[in-house]
Amino acid sequence: MQTIGRLLLLVCTLLCILTQITSQEAGNQLPEKYVESVQRSTHTNNWAVLVDASRFWFNYRHVANVLSIYRSVKRLGIPDSQIILMLADDMACNARNPRPGQVYNNAKQHINVYGDDVEVDYRGYEVTVENFVRLLTGRTQNGTARSKKLLTDAGSNVLIYLTGHGGDGFLKFQDSEEITSQELADAVEQMWEKKRYNELFFMVDTCQAASLYEKFTSPNVLAVASSLVGEDSLSHHVDQSIGVYMIDRYTYYALEFLERVQPNSKKTMGEFLQVCPKRVCISTVGVRKDLYRRDPNKVPITDFFGSIRPTQISTGRVNITLEDEEDFINAAIAAEEEAAKRSTFKVEFPSQFPSELFK
Amino acid sequence: MEFGISIIFLILLYASPIAAVKESSEFNEELYVRPMANGLVNTFFQFTTRWHYGDRENLHNTQLIPRPIAETLLLYDVKELHIGLTQGLWRYETYGYPVMDNAPGAEVRAWFAGENLTSTDVDDQWVKLASTFSGILCASLNFIDKTNSVEPKYSFRPQFVTGSKANIPQFVRYASLPREIVCTENLTPWKKLLPCNSKQGFASLLNSGHVHNTNYHSLGMKMRTICESYNKNCILEFTETANMVYDPKLLGTNGDFSLRRLFGQGLNGHCALAKSSKIYVNLDDQPYDLTPTPMYNVTSRRGGSTTTLGVYDIQRLDEDKFFNIAWINKKTKANVQITPTPPLYAHRYILGHGQERGQILTQITNKHYAALPIVLQENIPWFVPSYMHTLKLIVQPENGAEYTIKPRVMHYIPGVQRLRPYHLELLFEIPALSTVQISFDFDYIFLKWLEYPPDANHGHYLGSAIITTQLPMGRNYTAIPVDKHLFADSFNASRSSYFLEIRTESLILSLPTPDFSMPYNVICLACTVVALAFGPIHSVATKRIVVEQKDAQPQSLKGKVMQKLFRRKQNKTDTNTNKAEAHAETVFGHSIADVKQ
Repeated sequence: MQTIGRLLLLVCTLLCILTQITSQEAGNQLPEKYVESVQRSTHTNNWAVLVDASRFWFNYRHVANVLSIYRSVKRLGIPDSQIILMLADDMACNARNPRPGQVYNNAKQHINVYGDDVEVDYRGYEVTVENFVRLLTGRTQNGTARSKKLLTDAGSNVLIYLTGHGGDGFLKFQDSEEITSQELADAVEQMWEKKRYNELFFMVDTCQAASLYEKFTSPNVLAVASSLVGEDSLSHHVDQSIGVYMIDRYTYYALEFLERVQPNSKKTMGEFLQVCPKRVCISTVGVRKDLYRRDPNKVPITDFFGSIRPTQISTGRVNITLEDEEDFINAAIAAEEEAAKRSTFKVEFPSQFPSELFK
Repeated sequence: MEFGISIIFLILLYASPIAAVKESSEFNEELYVRPMANGLVNTFFQFTTRWHYGDRENLHNTQLIPRPIAETLLLYDVKELHIGLTQGLWRYETYGYPVMDNAPGAEVRAWFAGENLTSTDVDDQWVKLASTFSGILCASLNFIDKTNSVEPKYSFRPQFVTGSKANIPQFVRYASLPREIVCTENLTPWKKLLPCNSKQGFASLLNSGHVHNTNYHSLGMKMRTICESYNKNCILEFTETANMVYDPKLLGTNGDFSLRRLFGQGLNGHCALAKSSKIYVNLDDQPYDLTPTPMYNVTSRRGGSTTTLGVYDIQRLDEDKFFNIAWINKKTKANVQITPTPPLYAHRYILGHGQERGQILTQITNKHYAALPIVLQENIPWFVPSYMHTLKLIVQPENGAEYTIKPRVMHYIPGVQRLRPYHLELLFEIPALSTVQISFDFDYIFLKWLEYPPDANHGHYLGSAIITTQLPMGRNYTAIPVDKHLFADSFNASRSSYFLEIRTESLILSLPTPDFSMPYNVICLACTVVALAFGPIHSVATKRIVVEQKDAQPQSLKGKVMQKLFRRKQNKTDTNTNKAEAHAETVFGHSIADVKQ
């Protein structure tokens, strides 16, 4: 029995080494400078909270907005388990959508932002102000599934993206309730007090979007809004075949920029903050940097949109040989026979229909 | 000695994944393709994992079974679980019976069993179980709670076995969310529960773009445990099914179709972990020629009907290229394909007009030449107050006058607003060749303001009614017997009777919806009225009225012009100088008095 244990340990070590060797090969492809910047970064993990707050088919563009960001962060390496996607309505499988299971950012159908492996965490009626605030502050109800929780810590860089219909100081959720800028600021403050983020990038695409970050007081928050107070955010273009606006201007250009970003690219947050100049966006993009300590021009964009963790590469090799191979095989065969004997037992299923009541 | 071996076996289960896969679990993938009448095609995928895990502690170490499934068994006392996510309507009259029936929207049903388990514990576990699977399947199953769950007494019987120990309390819970949509976000995690994910094997055919363009698609999940004795020497069966109805004409063909046409790509071999990977093709009276022809044929005789199936064993194929099967219409159009009418089908309607009173009517038709025993389950939400004294069962024979019957057994739990739904189970016999109409009245009610969903005018959904029966013959019947687990086990599985479960349509009820902008309108209107009233009253109360004599109007044209000019001049000087000073003229030529400040 001891020999089996030892053997297993050896097999495990071998596997570990094999995986390390493969990861080493992949690691060598990264540019030195990039690896350095990753080692220096202050965060240990990345999370994204992406919210589409509007329902109904005519708000197709808001779903396309949020899916554009979803697509980008997923492509740049944030796993689905660390993305909380909230969609207030179903556009992809909507009866009005002539292309079921697909949502496009462009009338020419350039990018299917819905993709083939999307995972929506909150959908339909679940997208409420209460659930959103509970999610951010970590006060989810007892029994909430793990995929519906924001399990961040003091080392997490969090991207929060909101889109919907907004006004001065509020954002509408599903045409029936609103979240105010004060509530948002309080939620973020609570996150900071509970050490639920390291840095937070707040991005919002809605009318009068800048009003939503005005009340923030918590440190390490970088915020960008598609329009200033008093301005409308505008949509990009209509797809005549489905009769609705496809996407909003700000997010359209943000996606265009993000599509060119690769996991090892050197693009910075500073560049990202300038993706939509007034001549294309029509609205003025608002930025709030006073709470953020670092210079956005020196922060790699992958600090918020990607998920690369510091890695240590070992180059040493360990040689192992398998001992007592025969014992191992014999034991496995014996167990197999034993299991086969045990797995064939007779069971009786109850009758599936209450026929006794019909006699 | 035996004890020693079992210890080794246990250790192996714990520690050695390679040995354990071989000895304790097996995975099978099956695809059944059945061309139906009207040129439609039914494709049914079944992925079955059967794991002989032995004792409960071994659930910690999973191989082919996904970890969350095994952990659910550890966390909760659930022994059997069915989840269905369906879009579209299965039309029994033209499609026949499905292998696995599911209601439109989401549907969950679970059996709990355990020592010292109480109904309150089960209520709690049931909500948490639904919530867990809402996370696993990205569906809003977390909306399941006591207000929409029922405890069927007759409709469902256990399909699990707890083992020899008697008197273990068993509880069942059922809930449906007919509003639930099914889209890529459900298919993705559903595929992730398979051992080979979606990369290899039959699951690679399930791509969102080619699943959601169907007339009907239903994702199913079934889990059950079979134990030799209580929590000892157990088997866990985990089955995932995908049932779809394609319309090849919508795919732009003249009725011919192929795997590649239906699923967007050919089959890229089989899942390496699968014990068997087989495609079954229905060959009964088909107007199609198959290329390539099936490797071998299987004839299934079941309950008096014979079915011929062509089998493709994918594991025996050359792995290098994509495998495709084409169904090409025969040149001679001699045989017109007709799906035989199934012996039993049902529909449901809302009757009545206006928004005060209505009636729910369920219509069950028996086309069989003998009477059939029926269990009907109605699950009516709490916001539809129903009146059981109006319950009527009317039999309409195909020939003859209609008459009423009484149910043999009636199990009714009245609903309580905001607390529990109305639950009705009826047991009765439906006479040969006749239709039974089951109807009862309900009221339309107003909800509280915040209970209306954001899209209140869309209407509220009522889940399907479930009808269970026992058929004496197996025509149209493809369900898997309860003691078996593979689709292939349904071949030649003759029994004395065949348990059938069918569902009606879900209903949409348009409750009286208040105008939510009313408070805003009232505020606007009230403010306008107040403003209109306030202005004059304020003026009257604060201004002094002085009557002044007015000069006579000049009669000649010249005089009028001169006066107009003069007046304008005077107005200017008025505004420039002291406003309090009165001027004799008014802006309106006809008035003779002016209000002065």
